[in-house]
Amino acid sequence: MWNEITEKLHEVLRNVMPQVDVVLGWERGFNPLRIKPVVVRSEKDISRLVWNPFCVQNLTGYLVKNPAVIAGEGKKVAVCVKGCDSRSLVALIQEHFLDRDRLLIIGVPCQGTIDWRLVMKKIGNTTTVFNAHIEDGILRIEHSGGLEQMSIESVLLRRCLRCAYPNPVIYDVLIGETVTPRIDKSELYRNVAQFEQKSLEERRNFWIDVLSRCVRCYACRNACPLCICQDWCIAERRDPKWVTQRPTIKDIFIFHSIHALHLAGRCTECGECERVCPVGIPVMFIKEKLNEINLRLFSYEAGLDPQAVPPLLTFNPHEAGI
Amino acid sequence: MTPAKKAKKKIEEKIFIPQEKLNEVLERLSKHFRVWVPVLSSSSNGWTVEFRPFTIESEPFFTRQSTMPPKSVILPQGETLFQYEYVKNSDDPSKQDLILKETINAEKTLVFGARPCDVRGFVICDWVFLRGLYLDVYYKSRRENTLFATLVCQDADDACFCSSVGGGPGDMEGSDIRITSTSEGFVLEGLNDRAKEVISLCECDPPSEEQSRDAQRIQEEAKNRIIGSLDVSGSVEAVKGQFQNMGVWRDIAESCLSCGVCTYVCPTCYCFTITDEIQGLKGERLRSWDSCMFHQYTQEASGHNPRPTKLERYRNRLGHKFCYFPLRYGGVIACCGCGRCIRSCPVSIDIRSAVERVKEVHSNACVCS
Repeated sequence: MWNEITEKLHEVLRNVMPQVDVVLGWERGFNPLRIKPVVVRSEKDISRLVWNPFCVQNLTGYLVKNPAVIAGEGKKVAVCVKGCDSRSLVALIQEHFLDRDRLLIIGVPCQGTIDWRLVMKKIGNTTTVFNAHIEDGILRIEHSGGLEQMSIESVLLRRCLRCAYPNPVIYDVLIGETVTPRIDKSELYRNVAQFEQKSLEERRNFWIDVLSRCVRCYACRNACPLCICQDWCIAERRDPKWVTQRPTIKDIFIFHSIHALHLAGRCTECGECERVCPVGIPVMFIKEKLNEINLRLFSYEAGLDPQAVPPLLTFNPHEAGI
Repeated sequence: MTPAKKAKKKIEEKIFIPQEKLNEVLERLSKHFRVWVPVLSSSSNGWTVEFRPFTIESEPFFTRQSTMPPKSVILPQGETLFQYEYVKNSDDPSKQDLILKETINAEKTLVFGARPCDVRGFVICDWVFLRGLYLDVYYKSRRENTLFATLVCQDADDACFCSSVGGGPGDMEGSDIRITSTSEGFVLEGLNDRAKEVISLCECDPPSEEQSRDAQRIQEEAKNRIIGSLDVSGSVEAVKGQFQNMGVWRDIAESCLSCGVCTYVCPTCYCFTITDEIQGLKGERLRSWDSCMFHQYTQEASGHNPRPTKLERYRNRLGHKFCYFPLRYGGVIACCGCGRCIRSCPVSIDIRSAVERVKEVHSNACVCS
């Protein structure tokens, strides 16, 4: 099935190639579980592209972060997006970082993306992963230790288990059939509500425990398509200096708070911050809480309507609920 | 000369620690040493393994390479170089005196369960901090007070390539004790004089003949295993030759996020920054991990940045390990082949194929000209 969709993707791209001069997509990495983003500039390289549940990366950040992938005059950039990625695009269009007319959006409905770490945990320590095949929700891995089968549901990234928007919300071409969301919108902040049942002490200890592992590599920030301060991030500014270089929980907490607050009302929950964390900190969980507040106060969900203005980017003295 | 090399011939002491006795032994050792062990992090996705100081609740985890290397044992992420305080001069109140306080504090430390690649990281860093132009007293004091009990590695995956860069799953350079994990427990062998104290503190019996044979078989297998197929020869010339060919660096690093994951999980990335962290009249001079992937790393006071984008920064990381370092330190490749940068990279950039690509482009360019 994934091979067929990949072929369809190639076909669509070959057709649109006269309009575009650069394509952002995914290609196979060093093993079948590891996919990497690729920028394709000629028709002969289109065959490198793939689409399957290992295509974890949100590619939209490459359109805005220096050196940004841009099209030549009169041409467009073709960008492949899953449901969550498409919401990042909407947010970037809303904030005028991207011009919709210069994009050719290839939407791919997504059945969930796979966490390679969970797969490796199940198959143990092997020398080589030869093949990964997905059919009817079952992932079959051929590796040097033998053959292993598992359900896709058991190895999905956390962000995918709570996904209400698997289908692209904005696109020019849609490849493959739309899928039924895993959860209903009303359930989006179930985990937040559950967590808030815990005592303050328990919540504090949870965050101290997980954040104490943070090494301040800033992958969460750099992978976020909406973290647009880039080289001028407050975390590293020395003049004025806001955050010390100490690796203590206080400084780590300040960084993550700033990161989350800058995304209040803007975060589209693509979960890249959490996926890229090398030490498994549930970074997106902080933003989920902010989005829950955002929904409650402003009835607003980020990244759905390119015409809408995010609540914290506007000012209305008659706002209800404040 | 590294400690392991000095007394390589004196291999005598051998003990066996049964699996169920491990924590008891480590607790005994932790009365004399600060003992670091790899442990599975709590409340994560059940994947992250880090080195943490041993406590009685620790459950050492040896069946997978740690996510973070034990680098911070010798090179802490944040290290106070000294503390200072401004005080009024009692004779002349219009003047201020500066009081400096030394903070070097190197405890006797034992790293239990590092892997050959992890320790090789320190062997490589030694060139910079102990054998280069400057002697780093902070590094030296910790290095001298730290012993490594190293696991013969049986857990390579397809990101590992230690054999390609001079190491191997059984390589014991820089280690003081060899640990061989067998089905029932751990065979420990002292590799030098420094190991004797640790071995005797374990208060364990020598291994049975069968346990010894088991360990030997595992060591033999490790010795014969070739992990990785990268050929690093010619990397120095290739990087030099393709330095200005931005096309090749774009091919390799266009998808780079310019985050610091690869450098922070790397046992041989030792770059640091120094900041004064001051509050009121008291402060400390702090040395903390820096990353050549960051914009600030080469930002000059004038505003100019010689490495303005991720492409120049990635070129530097690869160039440092496979060209500039070997040029300065007698051909030593500044990479231990642990594969962490490959495994942890959010966009799956593979330094092995990057080196191969630069070499390939370089050899094609040479043929043409």
